[in-house]
Amino acid sequence: MKFFPGCMIHNRYPGIEKSLYFVFENLGIEISPLNGSSCCPAPSITKSVSHDMWLEIGKRNIELAENDTIMTACNGCFTSLFEVSKKTGTGDVRHVAEFLYFDVGIEKIKRSITKRLPLRLAIHYGCHFFRPGEYKKFTSQERPRVLDELVRAIGSESVDYRYKMMCCGGGGGVRAGATEVSQDLLEIKLEAISQEEVDAIVVICPLCLNQFDNGQKELENSRNENYNIPVVHYIQLLAVAMGMDPELTGIQWHSISSTDLIEKLIKGEMVEE
Amino acid sequence: MNEELAKTLNRCMQCGTCIGSCFSGRVTALNTRKILMGYIAKGIPVESHDALWFCVTCYACQERCPRGIPITDIILEARNELARRKGLPGRLKNAFSYLEKHSAFVPGKEKNMKMRKELDLPVYHSQFDERARKEVSEIVSKYLKEVIG
Repeated sequence: MKFFPGCMIHNRYPGIEKSLYFVFENLGIEISPLNGSSCCPAPSITKSVSHDMWLEIGKRNIELAENDTIMTACNGCFTSLFEVSKKTGTGDVRHVAEFLYFDVGIEKIKRSITKRLPLRLAIHYGCHFFRPGEYKKFTSQERPRVLDELVRAIGSESVDYRYKMMCCGGGGGVRAGATEVSQDLLEIKLEAISQEEVDAIVVICPLCLNQFDNGQKELENSRNENYNIPVVHYIQLLAVAMGMDPELTGIQWHSISSTDLIEKLIKGEMVEE
Repeated sequence: MNEELAKTLNRCMQCGTCIGSCFSGRVTALNTRKILMGYIAKGIPVESHDALWFCVTCYACQERCPRGIPITDIILEARNELARRKGLPGRLKNAFSYLEKHSAFVPGKEKNMKMRKELDLPVYHSQFDERARKEVSEIVSKYLKEVIG
């Protein structure tokens, strides 16, 4: 298998990549970097300018893998490469969350962890993981449950909250193209999450991670709002549950840092033999 | 606009499921139902609405449309025309100059590469591989010139 990092993981959140390699090694699945791969390119923002540009860059990335399976951990990268592969009939593209759920399976994940993480978590799927249904046939487009079950598999609770299926406000080029709008949407989402007193927000996309994490800092500066809710990618939690040092997940580099969460991650809850 | 996509707009029966599902529509002037009505009743092109840039492309409207209109795909297509006529809004223009120059919408900086080194991870994005970077840059330039000059 080849890991496709995309810009966000390669250039901003390398801890996600480190965590993914740890998890795959633990599961006995061989994976190595897809050398020379570029921006996927980001689906909505690129299609907004040129559908053909999107297709040609996507194709180049897929061809680099020479028919080996391409693993992604970003909803944008997954969407672009998955759609291009379906349109051109080439390549095998996966998102790590659906791969863990369908190919590895919840039971094996439960058996693979060395400590449970008894956390209260607000799950955010990210729109492009489960829509559009024209391509994402592996899940419901209204009530996906892949991530809820993955979170339970490591001993955490998926806390229900209002607007759970709403966008983070980061997609479609809105974060860069209409920052105010992006912040308005993020505010609605965070307000709802803050009602539930969770330990963290869990995402499966570095763009959502960036929007929730750096977005909170931006809301603090522009609107004087302090939510202070840490944000993590699911693969970072899974790596810790499998025994990786929390520092290697890079969460200490996220904008919202929480010693409380890091302590809980270090401690965990032992799994009896 | 792609004729086949435009034709699907005529299926709209003005039920409002699209705008009812739209989170961006709650906080902005983006009103998908009205845009579709303008097109059907008065022939106003979809691409004449600047609010199209407020769409986060969550695909909720497209997924729920009882007439199967690919609304989000149409919005993306209409943005091509908007970009051609008026250029890109906000920092989107910068984003494309990054893509053209670095083959990355989000280019890595020195401090990011330090993080990779600390985690003992290789550097292999095309941004850091001259031949690969050039390959991608050329694709971007080719199309970008066509659209925004």
